[in-house]
Amino acid sequence: MYRLSRLRYLFPIGLFICFFLDGSLSKILANLFFSYPYSMVSQLVVLWMILGVFFEEETQIPLVGFAVVTGICTDLYYSGILGLFMFLYPAIVAFARALNRYYSPSFLSHILIFFVSIALLELLNYWAYYLVGVTRVGFAGFLLDTLGPTLALNLVYFIVLYWPVHRMYIRAMSNQH
Amino acid sequence: MQKFFSNRRLVILVVILVVCFGLMAGSVTLRNRRNTPPLIQQFGDDIVGIAGSVVTYPANAIQGGLSTVNELMNTYSENRELKQQVTELAQVKVRDQTLAKENKQLKAELKIRSSLTDYSTIAASVLSRDPSSWQAQLVINKGSSAGIKKNMPVLSGGGLVGRISQVNKTNSIVELLSDTSESSNRFAITIQGTNGKTVNGIITGYNSSTNQLIMGQVTSKAKIKKGTSVTTSGLGGVTPKGLYVGKVAKIGTDDYGLAQKIYITPATNFNEINIVTVAKLDD
Repeated sequence: MYRLSRLRYLFPIGLFICFFLDGSLSKILANLFFSYPYSMVSQLVVLWMILGVFFEEETQIPLVGFAVVTGICTDLYYSGILGLFMFLYPAIVAFARALNRYYSPSFLSHILIFFVSIALLELLNYWAYYLVGVTRVGFAGFLLDTLGPTLALNLVYFIVLYWPVHRMYIRAMSNQH
Repeated sequence: MQKFFSNRRLVILVVILVVCFGLMAGSVTLRNRRNTPPLIQQFGDDIVGIAGSVVTYPANAIQGGLSTVNELMNTYSENRELKQQVTELAQVKVRDQTLAKENKQLKAELKIRSSLTDYSTIAASVLSRDPSSWQAQLVINKGSSAGIKKNMPVLSGGGLVGRISQVNKTNSIVELLSDTSESSNRFAITIQGTNGKTVNGIITGYNSSTNQLIMGQVTSKAKIKKGTSVTTSGLGGVTPKGLYVGKVAKIGTDDYGLAQKIYITPATNFNEINIVTVAKLDD
């Protein structure tokens, strides 16, 4: 079904824009995102993929494949440390998909699943970088300075983008031939 | 849960974890050791960087437009203040030119080809920033084809902001001084004391809650006043001498009370960097 729907174009284009917007927004709004000591991590890419999980219905977007490619790009282009996001993004997408099966689709359950996914993503990201030695921040510092602000920012993204993206999916899937 | 952790899945999970951490540890050590990343990574980064300009350039243009409007608002008051400074600057500039000329002549006399203060600059603009709270990194639009090499110091807004951590053909990654990793801010710096002595040392850390650089383990007897300028000392041979770092904010003692710890306010706000200058030592 995915091959026949318009999402075949729309989903990768959206993913592409989100990937670079993450970097651009972090640069342009750096004063807001990284006002010391807080730091907010813009995760539009994850938002886009998880919204795909919520709205795909029977279209079946190959989300895990896209997640792997996006993860490799994030590793290479942004962090320069290969090996984290290429596994973390698909894991988070699979996690959101598994959770989504247990809840009836509604805005509240979706925002809950997104919240948990982002929290898990940031936690695993912190834990992995801590083990490898990229960061030396303590766990309390992580909770206060990174996790809280990051969740706040990404929930704002979610609330702003949820209905427009939903409408886009409905349109894209209704006109398939 | 019982079903999820069946034997096969557990084995796959462990293999993935091992590969994941192996790759990460490998790339961290590779990044610290090698001058250029592996060719495949360079190639991938170049492709991604070029494709990304479709998004990054319009976004930066919008930012440029907005900040122009913003700057227009306080042009008048700025103009008045700046006019006063310009008259003073003219004098300094003339003196600087004379001294530079004299310096060149003296060097020629002594047959010194170039010293640590001779450097050329490469200007680059910032494409995007790593959206991560663990790494403060910028992607800039010049790479090895423009002459950039790993570990070169990066300046912006008149002060030191970081160093080149990864070089590709057409873009490179700058690690800011505010990065939490250990190698990012180890610059050799020097401070002139009031009693004629100078303090040489390195930047040993960064305090993110106060936005100050820390120069630790200072055992020199030199008296340092608050507000003294801090510059790079050129020791180590990669960084030119005399790049402005910031001003001394406060002086304290370390945890054991034996050595001094000097806190430095950086010259540039690390969150407002659009254009950078990469300093390249002449040889």
